[in-house]
Amino acid sequence: MTACIGEPISWLRLERFALGAPDPAIASHVAACPACRQCLAQIHDDVVALPPLEVPTRLRRPQWRRRWLAPVFAAAAAAVVLVVVLRRPPPPGDDVASATIGVKGVGEVTLELVRERGGAISYEARGFAPGDRWKVVVSCPPSASAWIDVSVADGITIDHPLAAAQLPCGNRVVVPGAFTVTGTRANRVCARVAAAPGADAGTACLTLRPE
Amino acid sequence: MLRSREDAVDVVHALFADLIPTWTSDVDLPYLYRAVTNRCLNLVRDRGTRARLLEREPTAAAPVGRVRLDDEIVGLGLLAALTERLDEPHLHVLVCRFVDDMTQDEIAAHLGVSRKTIGKRLDRIREAVTALRGHEEAS
Repeated sequence: MTACIGEPISWLRLERFALGAPDPAIASHVAACPACRQCLAQIHDDVVALPPLEVPTRLRRPQWRRRWLAPVFAAAAAAVVLVVVLRRPPPPGDDVASATIGVKGVGEVTLELVRERGGAISYEARGFAPGDRWKVVVSCPPSASAWIDVSVADGITIDHPLAAAQLPCGNRVVVPGAFTVTGTRANRVCARVAAAPGADAGTACLTLRPE
Repeated sequence: MLRSREDAVDVVHALFADLIPTWTSDVDLPYLYRAVTNRCLNLVRDRGTRARLLEREPTAAAPVGRVRLDDEIVGLGLLAALTERLDEPHLHVLVCRFVDDMTQDEIAAHLGVSRKTIGKRLDRIREAVTALRGHEEAS
């Protein structure tokens, strides 16, 4: 990798420059410095439009988009050179696509459910029908490992369809096994997460509803 | 700061994942910058994560160290060592000045403290680096 020919320019300043802030000193440096030119090109390549955020009707606040989109774009540019993909923001309540908790000894743990229906995979779906297969997916800091016990409750009974397991953390780690949900009642799928069996645990839950 | 694109994406994503469900609207860009910086520092401070980041650093997204503290490039290793010697306010100044290359005036405005305070914190940071290097040479 080529080194900077002089005093290196910070990512923040390069990003400001890439966003149109005039700076003759940076312009002349970049023109002469292959390393910084390469970084600037990387920043240009990484700038992508974020998908529009939809606010659920029942929580719509007219000022929300105007006040949030600018920080969203700016933070994406200012943090590092990165692409932030924000999926539809989950409204508070039962129909969220994921649930996040903090667990002692593990860190931040996010629970997601994946539905397989006729070969189609969906992370967002929360409606169940006969024949659907569901898998539990967790994300947690890669340096940790987590003990996970999954339960499914329909208000009458509680099942443990998957064997409790100690899993290495990472992005979207799949808990081994799959289960189906039947009946006409909403089912609450909960993952009890701890650093190890018997340790302080946290519980994240998502609700599935019959279609 | 992290020299790892994947970890940086995770940090920003996690921040918004925490903010959006609360529908908190009274945040601005300086808040987001501070929040991201805090989370990055926490990652670097965590010994397990730090080892992974340091292992990745040579092949990660950092082509060159970008900003120097005196004659030394502020890389992940130095940043990690300083997280154990400096408190949060000093670490924020360190990042603003030697990672993002803000001026003292910009840092003062960003953190809401006087330029004199920033100057004092920079002196303390330089002392910490000197002490760190002295300790390394002695050992």
